[in-house]
Amino acid sequence: MEFAIFFFFAAVAVIFALVVVLHRNPVVGALSLVASFFALAVMYVLLEAPFLAALQVIVYAGAIMVLFLFVIMLLNLQHVAEPVTRPVQQFLGYTSGAAFGLGLLYYIVKYAVFAKLPAGPFVTDARTIGIKLFEAYVFPFEMVSILLLAAIVGALLLSGRQYQKREAAP
Amino acid sequence: MPFDATDIGLSILKIAIVLFMMLNITPIMVWVERRGSALIQDRPGPNRVGPFGLFQSFADALKFILKEDIVPAGAHKWLYTLAPAVGLFPALTTIAVVPWGRDFRLPEKVWFGHRFFEGRPLFEPVIANVNAGILVVFALASLAVYGIVIAGWSSNNKYSLFGGIRASAQMISYELSLTLAAVSVLLVAGSLRLTDVVWEQTKYFVLFDTIKIPAWNVFSPAMWIAFIVFSVSAFAETNRLPFDFAEAEAELVAGYHTEYSSMKFALFFMAEYMAMGTMSALVVTLFLGGWDIPWYNEPPTWQGFVLSALFFLVKVSVLLFVFVWVRWTIPRLKYDLLMKIGWKVFLPLAILNIVIVAAFIAAGWL
Repeated sequence: MEFAIFFFFAAVAVIFALVVVLHRNPVVGALSLVASFFALAVMYVLLEAPFLAALQVIVYAGAIMVLFLFVIMLLNLQHVAEPVTRPVQQFLGYTSGAAFGLGLLYYIVKYAVFAKLPAGPFVTDARTIGIKLFEAYVFPFEMVSILLLAAIVGALLLSGRQYQKREAAP
Repeated sequence: MPFDATDIGLSILKIAIVLFMMLNITPIMVWVERRGSALIQDRPGPNRVGPFGLFQSFADALKFILKEDIVPAGAHKWLYTLAPAVGLFPALTTIAVVPWGRDFRLPEKVWFGHRFFEGRPLFEPVIANVNAGILVVFALASLAVYGIVIAGWSSNNKYSLFGGIRASAQMISYELSLTLAAVSVLLVAGSLRLTDVVWEQTKYFVLFDTIKIPAWNVFSPAMWIAFIVFSVSAFAETNRLPFDFAEAEAELVAGYHTEYSSMKFALFFMAEYMAMGTMSALVVTLFLGGWDIPWYNEPPTWQGFVLSALFFLVKVSVLLFVFVWVRWTIPRLKYDLLMKIGWKVFLPLAILNIVIVAAFIAAGWL
């Protein structure tokens, strides 16, 4: 039963991830990413981590992707096939993608075939994660906060400057 | 996981009960909405079909089924068809973690020569009592916006698109205050599990050693701000007036569902009323004591369960009527005002309330 659920949702996640990359329409792509995230959340449930599953849906599917969709719909992108104007970047993109894929493959083979994964059950409730986050990992946690703050300030600065420029134009 | 026939049977029974209630919210609420609006506007309202116009909803349903199902030529056909289903999914599933009655041990029974309920298993009137409880609610509720956004975009209609864009901005904004308002409650309960939240509220506040007030969170001196923020945000999350900017008849024809007809439109309708029902159930669970009957100790038997479940139903019904009452009393806000209130009033208030509750807990008062 668990295996059936796993393979079904794994297939869903992979197929929708492929749709994200291959589909021309940005709205369809964004929605497929939501479906892919949702399938990933099911994986967390199967790993007996409902807390992480809920967070995955709240943060990624519920918040970030809504903003993505909002921006895509506001820009009202016309799905025209763009000609390749930057061959170097395209080459770099393909190479880094392939390298990342190979790295993933290496780890999958390493852990699935040669190494034994640590056995469960893991404690994954909110209390344990919270205590770990604010005791053992408090420094990385604060680092991420600062990173996000910097991103927010950067976004404000960039959009603010654009606004001034537009007002200055006759 | 061992296969347990009793467990599965009880789960199916619970799902059937909840689904029956959820599916019946729509026709009943349509009737309440129409008669209620008539009452408020001093006119008779629908009163021809059946006693007090009660069967009007059946006539409406029949009309929906018989209408022609139109897909606009410029629409994105797949997403256009998918949108109503996507909208209905969170509305139907969110209720699964909300407890709707007192739990009790089933008595052992002999039916048809078989012994049932051996060892007296506990009957918990909640479909999924997961320890991430309230987070599951917010996770599913945050998906509710997709039905509206997909519908708005795929219709290929500028009014629909405006409705979808507004809905996404609005729901993202109000989700924050909704979640933060709920955090206060969770701080007091010390658990994310909604059954624990309700059990915490079955206690009493004792004033001057004599007056017993039920420890519902709404009566708590530290939490009424959170109650107000949560209830108002609930209106925004369910897209009800005064916050129904996704629909806004006066500005956007019918907003995101302008192009929809027949059963596809009916599904949006059902999703709206079910979301209202779920939100009312959540407000009751978090702030109004859930299934708790004040000044009465529910016995841990099936009688206690039935009484508490009925009381829960009464509370939810009262809140549902408040939804209708507000809709026909308060006019729609301006859109910029909605955003301003969301970010500059409700969000700071919700955070302030968390600080207050934390201070109360630190001082040992809660």
